[in-house]
Amino acid sequence: MASQLLPLELIDKCVGSKIWVVMKGDKEFSGTLLGFDDYVNMVLEDVTEFDYSGNHTKLSKILLNGNNICMLIPGGEGPVAGS
Amino acid sequence: MADIDDGTSAPASEPLDLVRLCLDEVVFVKLRGDRELKGRLHAYDSHCNLVLGDVEETVYVVDEDDEDEEAVKVGENTLDGFTRTDWGYLQTISKKSEMLFVRA
Amino acid sequence: MENGSAAQGEGRDPSGFLSEIIGQGVTVKLNSGVVYKGELQSVDGYMNIALEKTEEHVNGVKKRSYGDAFVRGNNVMYISAD
Repeated sequence: MASQLLPLELIDKCVGSKIWVVMKGDKEFSGTLLGFDDYVNMVLEDVTEFDYSGNHTKLSKILLNGNNICMLIPGGEGPVAGS
Repeated sequence: MADIDDGTSAPASEPLDLVRLCLDEVVFVKLRGDRELKGRLHAYDSHCNLVLGDVEETVYVVDEDDEDEEAVKVGENTLDGFTRTDWGYLQTISKKSEMLFVRA
Repeated sequence: MENGSAAQGEGRDPSGFLSEIIGQGVTVKLNSGVVYKGELQSVDGYMNIALEKTEEHVNGVKKRSYGDAFVRGNNVMYISAD
């Protein structure tokens, strides 16, 4: 049987690199993933918060509640760099 | 959210300690749906269910701006607790109750 | 809060980050978009938060201030170190 990568193991591989977080609703974050826990609460550094209206806010270091996270894109730079 | 006036801020070890310090004090509670409560905190639990006494509840309701608006300035209070805002009338409804259980 | 095998202590994982920023100025954003700025007194595993010298900001406008404030964790979107 091929060894499969568990979802949280994929996130663990992202520690130290850029990640793009899409929340339930219209909010997105991108930043460097410093760590996370079993609930996928995550600590992000050099964060940009993307609003539904296109505004973005810079944040130095945040703890993001995992409760409303919908999708994680490893290496993602956020919606601006998206193709 | 509870607003207490506690001069000595002991290094509370967890957030619910702050709620414990509010027991028998008058607290201000913001609820979802633009509701606010002010009352004496009788009891709480780990879910933040609350029992409040002598409560005043305030509900904020925005009425659509209708055309026959009188010459009321923004922010000025009208009768019946209506406040003219830049998007319409903000109605504040106040209710009093002797004892209230608030589910977390 | 539980943490995986990640290194703790230097604010790398959630619990390490929280213990690092206790006592500091923080910004707490709720799912409703309301922002609370204040000094972080404590946090627990539910992300319940106790703040001191709290300011409430709605749409970037300062609305109110509170001496002490307890924020129930389910409303919290993020906690940011100022």
